[in-house]
Amino acid sequence: MTAVKTTESAAPAGSVPPALPPAVTGGARERRRGGAFDRALPYLLLAPAVIAILWLIGFPVVSVFVTSFRQLNLGELFRGEIVWTGFDNYAEILQDERFWDVTVRTIVFTVAVVATSVIAGLLIALLMRSLSPWVRIVLQVTMLCAWAMPILASATVYIWMFDQTYGILNKTLVKLGFDSFAGHSWFSSGASTLTVVGLLIVWQAIPFLAFSLYAGLLGIPRDLYEAAGIDGASGVQTFRAVTWPEIKSLLMMVTFLSTLWDFKVFAQIWVFKEGGPSGESTTLAVLQYLEGIAKGHFGVGAAVSVVMMIILALLTFQYLRRLLRTEEGQL
Amino acid sequence: MRRPVANVFGLVLAAFFAFPTYWMITSALKPKGTLLTSGYDLVPFKVTAVNFVTAWTKQGFLSSLANSLTVTLTAVLASIVVGLLAAVAMSRLRFRGRKGFVLLMLVAQMAPFEALLIPMFLMMRDLQLYEHLTSLILVYFAVTLPFCAWTLRGFVNGIPIELEEAAMVDGCGRWGAFQKVTLPLLGPGLVATSVFAFITAWNEFLFAKVLIRSQDRETLPVFLSGFQTAFGTDWGGAMAASVLFTVPALVFFLIVQRKMVAGVTAGAVKG
Repeated sequence: MTAVKTTESAAPAGSVPPALPPAVTGGARERRRGGAFDRALPYLLLAPAVIAILWLIGFPVVSVFVTSFRQLNLGELFRGEIVWTGFDNYAEILQDERFWDVTVRTIVFTVAVVATSVIAGLLIALLMRSLSPWVRIVLQVTMLCAWAMPILASATVYIWMFDQTYGILNKTLVKLGFDSFAGHSWFSSGASTLTVVGLLIVWQAIPFLAFSLYAGLLGIPRDLYEAAGIDGASGVQTFRAVTWPEIKSLLMMVTFLSTLWDFKVFAQIWVFKEGGPSGESTTLAVLQYLEGIAKGHFGVGAAVSVVMMIILALLTFQYLRRLLRTEEGQL
Repeated sequence: MRRPVANVFGLVLAAFFAFPTYWMITSALKPKGTLLTSGYDLVPFKVTAVNFVTAWTKQGFLSSLANSLTVTLTAVLASIVVGLLAAVAMSRLRFRGRKGFVLLMLVAQMAPFEALLIPMFLMMRDLQLYEHLTSLILVYFAVTLPFCAWTLRGFVNGIPIELEEAAMVDGCGRWGAFQKVTLPLLGPGLVATSVFAFITAWNEFLFAKVLIRSQDRETLPVFLSGFQTAFGTDWGGAMAASVLFTVPALVFFLIVQRKMVAGVTAGAVKG
């Protein structure tokens, strides 16, 4: 069998010089003996992952678009009816003033949270370089604890700390002389609720950002700083001329990632006030849940999901373009 | 910045990051009567374990803990196995369409799962998996798989192929070389990847809330989100449940920290 195979595949390779060195012939025979199995092996290894991705990610992506063009409420769902309504679902949400409020709120919230956490993460990364080793370790351990805490656990703790009557924050503020905070409710308006939610998200997002940026800073060659020092550059000048160009691309990456994550936050917003009071802290992720699942208007909910996906796809496209530019060689 | 000034800033920040964790633990340790008072006590005067007993024996806590562990561990195990197969193919083998597969993993990793809530719900309903833990296992498998495949590909890339080739020269088959050389060196990478996948699935709330409605099948995040129904104003009990929820995640996190520092193939080529 081996012999047949060898002659078969040797035939088209007519241009190969006849006097091959023995090592190369040996290698070539090795490769041919694997034959069909070797050629199929990569695809066999990839098959489970690709099937799972197409089934559990690809199909829902198609399905969300299809569903957004259907009228699908609980009635249609139970009867198994398929009612096409064209762009009616989109018309419904786009004409709803509340939808625009929610969209603008989501974007403002995302930008505020991302900007705060990235800037704070960068400042902490820069600060970590000038700390004594033991202070740095203490800071790193505490950040690790914040990072590792499950979202629902940290949200519960924040609700307790911000409790109206017995929360430690109000007690502390009163102790410091701000008597008006006695019994102050932090969750009586949407803006105040989202500020607390934002603080929680920033608090848990900073560790990842600070650790990644700190690792990036450590990678900057030391002699660049020595050169800047010899040239008598000030701190700000050194940052602009040495640090900034070196970490700019990393900073862009983590900013994109944070935006992707923070845009679709649901759990934190939901457990604080379920999007309230009176819908004032509802974001797009909460809206699609309320419309699609809670009210059972699956078509309308899917239309909201599609809007979310379009915004995210625009961001992702930018991110991937940058990533592929830097990793081109590795792909 | 001068070092003492920087250190002061660093310690203030450390307090900022540590306080919620500290407050969760001390609130869980305080006796019932001392929590809902106007007294100001940053340090607990009396310590008790009674809140932990309350949380542990609370209706639904143990079943949701078991559900969370089942769902998370099954999904992570599946992602690691399937992801490793794909990672080895992408990193070690040369074949037509490789770039396309790598790109697929990268794009799939970016998939906005939260926006797929409605089609997932409808799909699980069609598959008769609604209200079954299997539906959550499938979702968490899908969420973590692209990440696992992508990250493990990086770890496999980090192990010099020369090591495998050396083993093959010494008479190992391709499988033998992989099993005896690459797999052991991949250990830390497997641990790190599965920990991050674990944390993702352990944290997940939206799908757990939507796909499971009955109380005896809910996972820990959903159980905790209803703490006001479960615990009322028993903040000590709620904090104790939060501590119990945090412990597995924290333990796994600390494991990765150590493994990551150890370095994946440090010194492998020298020997």
